[in-house]
Amino acid sequence: MKRILIFLICCVFIVSMSIVAIAGGPLTVDIHGPGQRMVNMTLLPPKGLAGTPVPQAVAKAFEELIANDLSYIPFLKIVPVTEFLGGDPSKGVKGSEIDFKPLQLARVDICMTTGWNGQNIEVRAFETFSGRRIVGKAYKDVGSTLPQVADRFCSSFLESLTGKKGFFDSPIAFVRQEKNSKEIFTVLPQGRGLKRITSLGGYNLSPAWSLNGTKIAFTHIGKTRHELGIYDSKTKKITMISKGLGQTVISPVFGPNDRLSVALNRNGATNIYQLDGNYKPQRMLARSPYIDVSPSFDNTGEKMVFTSGRAGNPHVYLMDMKSGDVRRVTLTGKYNTHPCLSPNGRYVAYTHRTSNGHRIYLHDLTTGREKQLTFGPGNDEYPAFGPDGYFVAFSSSRSGEYKLYLSTRHGDKPRIISTGKGQAFAPAWDTSLQW
Amino acid sequence: MKMKWYFGIMVLLALTLIVGTGCAKKKTTSTPPDVQVEVKDDTRWTPPPPPEEPKVDEAALAAEAEARAKAEAVEELSSVTIHFAFDSYELKEESRAVLALKANIMRRYEEVNVVIEGHCDERGTEEYNLALGERRARAAYEHLVILGVTPERMSIVSFGEERPVDPGHNEIAWAKNRRAEFVVQ
Repeated sequence: MKRILIFLICCVFIVSMSIVAIAGGPLTVDIHGPGQRMVNMTLLPPKGLAGTPVPQAVAKAFEELIANDLSYIPFLKIVPVTEFLGGDPSKGVKGSEIDFKPLQLARVDICMTTGWNGQNIEVRAFETFSGRRIVGKAYKDVGSTLPQVADRFCSSFLESLTGKKGFFDSPIAFVRQEKNSKEIFTVLPQGRGLKRITSLGGYNLSPAWSLNGTKIAFTHIGKTRHELGIYDSKTKKITMISKGLGQTVISPVFGPNDRLSVALNRNGATNIYQLDGNYKPQRMLARSPYIDVSPSFDNTGEKMVFTSGRAGNPHVYLMDMKSGDVRRVTLTGKYNTHPCLSPNGRYVAYTHRTSNGHRIYLHDLTTGREKQLTFGPGNDEYPAFGPDGYFVAFSSSRSGEYKLYLSTRHGDKPRIISTGKGQAFAPAWDTSLQW
Repeated sequence: MKMKWYFGIMVLLALTLIVGTGCAKKKTTSTPPDVQVEVKDDTRWTPPPPPEEPKVDEAALAAEAEARAKAEAVEELSSVTIHFAFDSYELKEESRAVLALKANIMRRYEEVNVVIEGHCDERGTEEYNLALGERRARAAYEHLVILGVTPERMSIVSFGEERPVDPGHNEIAWAKNRRAEFVVQ
């Protein structure tokens, strides 16, 4: 009996020790926590593998690509190697070949090594305090695909660090001003892979991705009517739908079961309808004699936020999709529009009109707290959550013309997204990688 | 010798005679001969047309006047826009007067069809503005229906804030841009 008791006590002790070990475990960044801490990171000088020399020009280009990608991550600060006592603390690319002490002294949390063997490359990131490898990847024949390799690695790195993937691989659809029209394009948030989707003329607005990221729905405004446009990335074809939708097609988005929800005017009032698989109105989701537009869903499809003029001014409302109950979300101001619900359904980013222009605000549905995310100048509009629910893209006229910017739900300093010539509006993020 | 002198005179006389008769003959030919000079001229004199008498083709004239009146009416229909207050689709008193005029025109010219375009100023956000523009166009549409215009002759389209008439960023420009336009098809 006594022996059993001792055995049990030992078991409990071992289990509790291992829990402590896990709890004090690897460095992670909780992007969903109340705040965030800065993480210092160093890119160690490239090394030649198996006695081969480092291709200096390519290695430098790669380092610049990585540094540029990582500069989009607001909680990462790049510390140059020159700041360490004794210079480069590494002899090779493996953990055993790095002297972590000077890095720890310089308060660097993460270091990255790159090893070159001709056109093959090995990239690793280590946690300096434990020496743990956060991520390690090898890529072959990187010659012409250097930017893609940098993106791939940063994507894996960020996923290991935050537990959320998709930032560098999830394109943003947006509206670009052309000479006499507005057309839809897509671009990766780090400014790569700019692609034209439409050349229809007229005004092509409000792009929205399907849940699996293969389709983009949008509003097309011709001379005499609106039409619903659907771009299919598999067939590269655009289908225009107008039959049964009436003269007005506003803010199409893909909601539960990848079915479209869109604001139509079928009986004198603009209401939000869910369409069936053949793009025919199936049922009315939000009903009021006033204006209801801009639906946005979480990834379970249980919640929908939308803009409604039912209180006299446009405000943001939340609908429980099961019960149909509607509650008002925004209580201050006179003009709150264009809500975007985070994929986890907790946060609503929306455009709040102030006397100095529109600003992006964040509403926490759990606590009811609100926070101003952007501060202009000009107008900050069209907030859109990234697949991780952490990044928020928006369009701003702060430079004099509308361009896309990137911030986070903490309101980090906005960073411009390069979208080429012409004004850019209405970013919509492909969130399929998290769904 | 005397003979020679006579002979000489005779010759002279004879010569004179010859010359004289020759001259006389010439004289006769100088008189107008019997030949009739035919003046060939096909052109006939026609009397000048009588001064343009207003030949009254009543039908053509009426049609012309009608066409002119119609062009003016169409011009009136499409050139006059109605305006709205910020974030509002309520018809103002003057807008109702303008719409009454438009309804008269549309009732008179049954074959004229219009597209009513709703527009907004740049201050709102895009999607809400599209809905607002639609409500503005619809407000005009519904008023015209009440005034007896067949609904089938009208259609509505909202451009939101896409097509400002005044690209300025001030109240004067915004007031101009918050409007419903009538485009004759």
